[in-house]
Amino acid sequence: MLGDILLITDKHRKAAEKIAEYILKNKKERMIIAISGESGSGKSELVHAIAKLMRKEGIFAKPLHTDNYYNTHPLKRREWRIANGIENVVGYGEYLWDTINQNLDDFRNGRTSVMPCVDLVTEQVDQLTTNFGEVDMLLVDGLYAIKAENVDLKVFIGLTYLETKEKHTKDVRGKEVMDEVRWAILGQEHKMVQALMPLANIIVTKDYEVEVVEEISDND
Amino acid sequence: MLNDLITITPQHESSARAIFSKVLEQKKLLTKDKMIITITGEVGSGKSTISNVLGRLLKAEGIRAKIIDLDNFYKIPPLQRREWRLKNGLESIGYDEYDWESLNANIAAFINNKSATMPCVDLITSYVDELKTNYKGVDILIINGLYALRIKEADLKVFVEYTYHETREAQLYSGKEKMDDYRQKVLQREHEVVTSMKNHAEFFVDFESSLFHL
Repeated sequence: MLGDILLITDKHRKAAEKIAEYILKNKKERMIIAISGESGSGKSELVHAIAKLMRKEGIFAKPLHTDNYYNTHPLKRREWRIANGIENVVGYGEYLWDTINQNLDDFRNGRTSVMPCVDLVTEQVDQLTTNFGEVDMLLVDGLYAIKAENVDLKVFIGLTYLETKEKHTKDVRGKEVMDEVRWAILGQEHKMVQALMPLANIIVTKDYEVEVVEEISDND
Repeated sequence: MLNDLITITPQHESSARAIFSKVLEQKKLLTKDKMIITITGEVGSGKSTISNVLGRLLKAEGIRAKIIDLDNFYKIPPLQRREWRLKNGLESIGYDEYDWESLNANIAAFINNKSATMPCVDLITSYVDELKTNYKGVDILIINGLYALRIKEADLKVFVEYTYHETREAQLYSGKEKMDDYRQKVLQREHEVVTSMKNHAEFFVDFESSLFHL
């Protein structure tokens, strides 16, 4: 993702420190960590903060945003969702899962990989080529990121769109227009995202407390 | 640039607005559809953030702008640059450190509505990825960087004024690069180069006050 604006605050840094500690304790070779949560819950901020902490430890962690993998073009998505019915189409089905899983597999095997990369200023999809051979860890963030294949650690942020309502209305990122359609989309995303909570190893609560709910096993 | 931590302050916002008005004015005078803007200023003067805000203001007007950060075009990758500079001396710091051939290929692709690839630094890993962009439908190219003033194809050359002293403090504060005697020498050298090029600019914006002059 190019041109994104992040607002990293102390709560993100504190939660990132705890998660980083857990990662270091349970570290695996070519580890994949996924972070899910609703729009505005702070996924990208958390990923950025964790990646920075890893870098301090000499671990090269690369963030990967699933928002780059929508199967509709940014400029046509809204119209497409309205035409097909928000409740019918907003969800996992909107993503290029084959490409996501292919890119994750490329990382696992240290290959050079090609992936979509949205430029939020031009609203175009560029193409990014990365050599995963030099990357040690992958931090995947996205609404449904923890649903991806072969993820080692699944983190879920419990903050919902209703609690970040103010942020959506005042959003400086200008990512999308705020109106009834957008609220309906957030409502549908909420349902889809919340259903994923049982998959989580770590939950970041509404107050950004970090709770380990299910230890990751050593042998998968 | 990937994973650039962009924090917008009111100064960035008003500097971008001043440039935005100038761009709209200038664009009307152009006989061609495509426009190239360069944004130069001292290290830490907020060039990339101002570019981002400017790009968003243009987007709201239905004008598509692609931002190119010159820092992506260093021939020596970030993790090896310091050592390379130490070995080659302070005189090696400057214009020739950049891959102008690659930048020119992107400028040509933009003008001709074609696709091109450019290096793209991931600021978290410090590794260099490769980005392929299709310039069809892109109306404006915003190129920002210390040496952007040297780009002759530019239709508008902007200079963001920001005193060296303030920049140094900003640099210390942002902690982007390790600050020591050597880094300060590098900054001093870059400051001298930027000052020597300044008179090539056409539109000056003061970062603190957002006042501008021609």
